[in-house]
Amino acid sequence: MPNAAVKSCSYCLAFTPELAFHYGNTPYMERQAKPDSEFLAALPRAAQSYEEACRYAPNLAYIGAISVEELSGRPQPWLDNLEPAPVRDGRFGEIMPEDEFLGLMDLCDVFDLIWLTEDFAARVKDRLTARGFWAEPQLARLEKGHALSEIDEEVKNHKALPLYYGGKTAGCCRRGHETDENLSAHVLLENIASKATSVLALMHLFKNAGMKPEELDFVVECSEEAIGDMNQRGGGNLAKAIAEIAGANNASGFDVRAFCAGPAAALIASASMVAAGARENVAAAAGGAVPKLYMNARDHVKKGLPALENCLGSMAVLLTPEDGESPVIRLDSLGKHTVGAGASPQAVTTALAWEPLEKLGLKLTDVDKYAPELHNPEITLPAGAGNVPEANYKMIAALGVMKKQLERADIENFVKERGLPGFAPTQGHIPSGVPYMGHALEAMKKGDLKRVMIIGKGSLFLGRLTNLADGASFLMEKMPAGQGEAAGAVTARDVEEAVLEALGNLAAALSE
Amino acid sequence: MGKLEGKKLLLLGERDGVPSPAMESVFKNSGAEMVFSATECFV
Repeated sequence: MPNAAVKSCSYCLAFTPELAFHYGNTPYMERQAKPDSEFLAALPRAAQSYEEACRYAPNLAYIGAISVEELSGRPQPWLDNLEPAPVRDGRFGEIMPEDEFLGLMDLCDVFDLIWLTEDFAARVKDRLTARGFWAEPQLARLEKGHALSEIDEEVKNHKALPLYYGGKTAGCCRRGHETDENLSAHVLLENIASKATSVLALMHLFKNAGMKPEELDFVVECSEEAIGDMNQRGGGNLAKAIAEIAGANNASGFDVRAFCAGPAAALIASASMVAAGARENVAAAAGGAVPKLYMNARDHVKKGLPALENCLGSMAVLLTPEDGESPVIRLDSLGKHTVGAGASPQAVTTALAWEPLEKLGLKLTDVDKYAPELHNPEITLPAGAGNVPEANYKMIAALGVMKKQLERADIENFVKERGLPGFAPTQGHIPSGVPYMGHALEAMKKGDLKRVMIIGKGSLFLGRLTNLADGASFLMEKMPAGQGEAAGAVTARDVEEAVLEALGNLAAALSE
Repeated sequence: MGKLEGKKLLLLGERDGVPSPAMESVFKNSGAEMVFSATECFV
């Protein structure tokens, strides 16, 4: 069976503490219920600065400025041991500051929804231009701005939401319809932010892969936003909207949704299309979630910690046909959590980690690294949600003991050797295994890793339509050329090439 | 009669820990009444 090659990856963060303070769901709901609460009063004092976020080791591991091994070696808590100097750019992407991000939302807006003040619009145009990263047609999309009085009028009388920078109004997000709540300013702000972060990741993917935007064939988008109006809430194709702004004029796309398992599911769908020859190449991309900003900030503030959930995460992975060099996503054995599998941790781990290996005759110890939910534990532990990746590793190891592939005494070593530190922001779908693919790609190219398992899990109960657990997993591995296709067997691609060659010979003979 | 016979249960599950449907299946034949069962997600 043919597979798909993992050609390149990108991972970006957009540092957005003011969006978090005003529109992150926890502070937003608190403001509706108790506008004078102590939590809201204390929250701004718990905010990190941009420089601090750019010195925070998990953020640097996410954008590829340091490796996961380097992160593991850093003294913890990482919060108390910031890197000596701020780093904006990593090998995979960047940490974008909030003023540039508000400008990027305007750049991504095609319905005149984002209005910036004239001063702020001029400032962000200068800042984005100075980066030397954005193409001229993209920069030309930035507006000249509006008078502050116009923005105040939109907010006061037309239900626009103010956008802030430095505590002052920098612009607003307008509604898309007078009565449709699916096109309210609140929903559109979330959707444009997701779109903008995806565009950022896709642009970095082009840079990392050394490809032109017009060379991209297809985008599969896999965030958790619903794009649509009152007649088709969640109608979708955010993918195509992203490709448009990124200049991928020859691409089309569609969206995949599966809560936090979306990225793993999207990569399986993307790899399948590439391996089948249906698409020349596919970029699976996901943007960030505004509602999840400051999600656990109540606990962080209560414990005197910085409110760490201040970054929108985004990522993109480029898949191409197997080339004999690049690691592949194996399609001959995929992890699938079936309807009847059950919701217990044991049942979920069996379906996602054990069964795909068993099908290939592999053991749990044949996988060098497992990448399940890679949530940063410094965010989740103070909130009482535990160390999520570590809990997953312990469960996989315990399953290994049950299946008699491991001794009980080996559990600790298994977790240490085959686990990873959590380094991704708690942005729902973002941490689900995929942030490790960039690091794995580098390690496999160096020959330091052979096989990793990417595991995504989804919380379907949040949608109130089913209580079923969910997840998807796949193996990424360095595979010698030709091993993905049955040795010696004639494939559809072989036949296609033979027919094309014969037709070429015939045409040449006829033209002589 | 089991220890939980006639008791009322509130089941609070966690997505990356033990979700509530898994707990429900454990307590199904305990004789207890499950008055509330929910799973939460903090990530």
